[in-house]
Amino acid sequence: MFWRFVVGAVKFRRRRLALAFAGLAVAAMLATAVFSLYSDIERKMRREFRAFGANLVIAPVGDARTVPLQAVSSAEKLDVVAAPFIYTIGRITIGHISDERVVEAGVDFSRAGPLISYWRVEGARTASKGECLAGITLAAHFRVALAQTVTLASGPCTVRGIVSTGGAEDSQVIVPFERASADAAFRDVASLVQIRADGERLPEVRDALSRAFPQAEVRVLRALAETEANVVMKVRSAVLLLSVVILLITTLCVTGNFSELVLERSKEIGVLKAIGAAEGRIATLLLSESLVLALAAALTGYAAGLAIAYWIGLTIFSNSAQATPIGVDFAVFMPVALMTLLIAAVATVAAASRIWRIEPAVILRGE
Amino acid sequence: MAMGAVALGSAVATAMLGAMLEVGDRVNHELRRLGANLLVTPKSASLPVEIGGISYQPTATDESIPLAQIPKIKSIFWQLNITAIAPSLRAQTLLNGREIVLEGAWFERKLRVPDGSSIMTGLHVLNSAWKVQGQWISDPRADDRSAEGMAGAALARRFDLQPGSTVPIFGELFKVMGIISTGSEEDDRLFVRLEVLERLTGRAGHVDAIEIGALTKPEDAFARRDPKRMTPAEYERWSCTPYISSIAHQIEEVLPMAVARPIRRVADNEGRVLGKVRGLMLLISLAAMATAALTVWSVMATTVLERRYEIAIMQATGAGSALIVAMLGAEIAIQGAVGGLVGALAGWELSGWVSRSVFGVEAQAPALLIPLVLVVAVAVALAGAAQPLRRALSLEPAAILREGA
Repeated sequence: MFWRFVVGAVKFRRRRLALAFAGLAVAAMLATAVFSLYSDIERKMRREFRAFGANLVIAPVGDARTVPLQAVSSAEKLDVVAAPFIYTIGRITIGHISDERVVEAGVDFSRAGPLISYWRVEGARTASKGECLAGITLAAHFRVALAQTVTLASGPCTVRGIVSTGGAEDSQVIVPFERASADAAFRDVASLVQIRADGERLPEVRDALSRAFPQAEVRVLRALAETEANVVMKVRSAVLLLSVVILLITTLCVTGNFSELVLERSKEIGVLKAIGAAEGRIATLLLSESLVLALAAALTGYAAGLAIAYWIGLTIFSNSAQATPIGVDFAVFMPVALMTLLIAAVATVAAASRIWRIEPAVILRGE
Repeated sequence: MAMGAVALGSAVATAMLGAMLEVGDRVNHELRRLGANLLVTPKSASLPVEIGGISYQPTATDESIPLAQIPKIKSIFWQLNITAIAPSLRAQTLLNGREIVLEGAWFERKLRVPDGSSIMTGLHVLNSAWKVQGQWISDPRADDRSAEGMAGAALARRFDLQPGSTVPIFGELFKVMGIISTGSEEDDRLFVRLEVLERLTGRAGHVDAIEIGALTKPEDAFARRDPKRMTPAEYERWSCTPYISSIAHQIEEVLPMAVARPIRRVADNEGRVLGKVRGLMLLISLAAMATAALTVWSVMATTVLERRYEIAIMQATGAGSALIVAMLGAEIAIQGAVGGLVGALAGWELSGWVSRSVFGVEAQAPALLIPLVLVVAVAVALAGAAQPLRRALSLEPAAILREGA
């Protein structure tokens, strides 16, 4: 009997129900989309900041010129990207220009990749044995072209790439780490070690490394660390606030829809009351109708919302330097479903309670 | 009910559009705390041989940029996008028998620019994220020659300096006002006033480099093209867009003795992050606005649907379709306009509230949004009503009246 009423009501007022259903589904969809975006936005934004390169540097302290190479493996044990760099004064011979002083940089290309992803390079990004990269200013100064061979103190090398960064690299000749190490007569040391740690772990990594290497100085690149923290926090709170605004407004809309749904049936309720149905039973009837509708809307909206969140993630964040799967958060279903059911229930009960107060006879007379 | 729906929809649309514009702008300003994104150096015949600021050049060069030319940077087309200018002069000296790098700089300088106004600029403005123990040197005027300095954190530790200590440089005693910690090579330097270092090194009126912070538009494929190979129309479009490369190009035009190069690590990544944030906000707003439009549309459709009976009576009593469309259309347009206005105003306030609570700044979305949203609201309301209205008019009035009874 109870379910016949419910099913009958659904069949009878298809259009009105479709509207209420659509409204609620849209609200659930938006809620799902913005909450899944919000739950993942910090991770996504922080990933964008990885391309800035190092945010920690292990530098020599006091009058020392080097740091132990062991710092690299210690840092890697903390699950961060770390690479040693060497800067030394070398001598270069190109054609008729002989024995000029240049800065020779040693880069461990197997490790440094993520730290130097911002370099603009014409040609190859890495150099192996017998090869080197030339800074763009240096290349222009000595008129060096790709594939040309230049002679350093340690022998000839072929220029595989021209590097342009707007920084010190522009006037350096860049060789593999081992070669610079041999040229500088370094043994198991580097000029400095650059580290990229995820922003939220930065203090922890710094403290661990400072403890492990009291003979070196662990520096946080303040401008980068602070900007990352600020931008991530602000974008996150902007997304949160916008979500709240959207949700409030759609909730208002949906509540209106559901109250209409009940108020429209005041005649029917009047009849039920007149023939002696208990108020509790009528309320259960109305509520179960609304909740069935709400649950269906939540499911539909949730699916659509996930699709939107996925689409936004794909469009904005997929072409990052390090592609990781686009985060879609399945855990948001519970809060979204609860929210939808709650809106439906509150709207229904609020509207029904208005009818309670009226005598059935008055409603039936049509006033 | 219908008017309420239009108001809510317009509020969402206005708030989202306003917030979208504001968030992009604020993040752009936030990213400027990264420091300089352009470096201006003298056109040079020699190659710098420097490690960590210490030059290993056998002979010192006398190439430089004249100090008096610096205000010209604020005369380029994109001058308002230039947020900070920090010229510097380098020197090496011995402190307690050990070699250190001295940098002459502006800290908080009031600079008169060609259009007659003044701006505050210098290291403090450019690098607001640097942490300072003690205080920044305040040097608003060029003729103040106090012997004050600021020490980088590593240098301070090496020579055991605190704010208030004194250091002998070129035979004069400098008072350390503050200790700067940056994490980069500035930590190993001693900063003094630019004009003081010029006097001590006998290079009055010269600087070695100018660091510049500029608000830019993220570079796209068009920005990376070589300006020399563009058509005049393309060149105009390129220089009328604040790309980092076009700003650099304009600076080279006013300072012919210098080269301006984007600092890729900052400029490229800054542009990329900004592009992502803008895109994110755009897509969220699109989703929200589409939803708002859909809601308004469906509410309008039901309103007309509910009034089929009324329309049928009008038709039965001889009203022409044109008259009915005009009447209902006017009614819906009024509902749309009133609802849209209320909603747009509320949404406008709402976006102001978002920027206050997220970014802590008083900022309002452009007022142009209000009429824009208003027009769209009326259009969407009318569009929603159009289809059911046409259907109602095409049916036999008798059939509707029988069903509705």
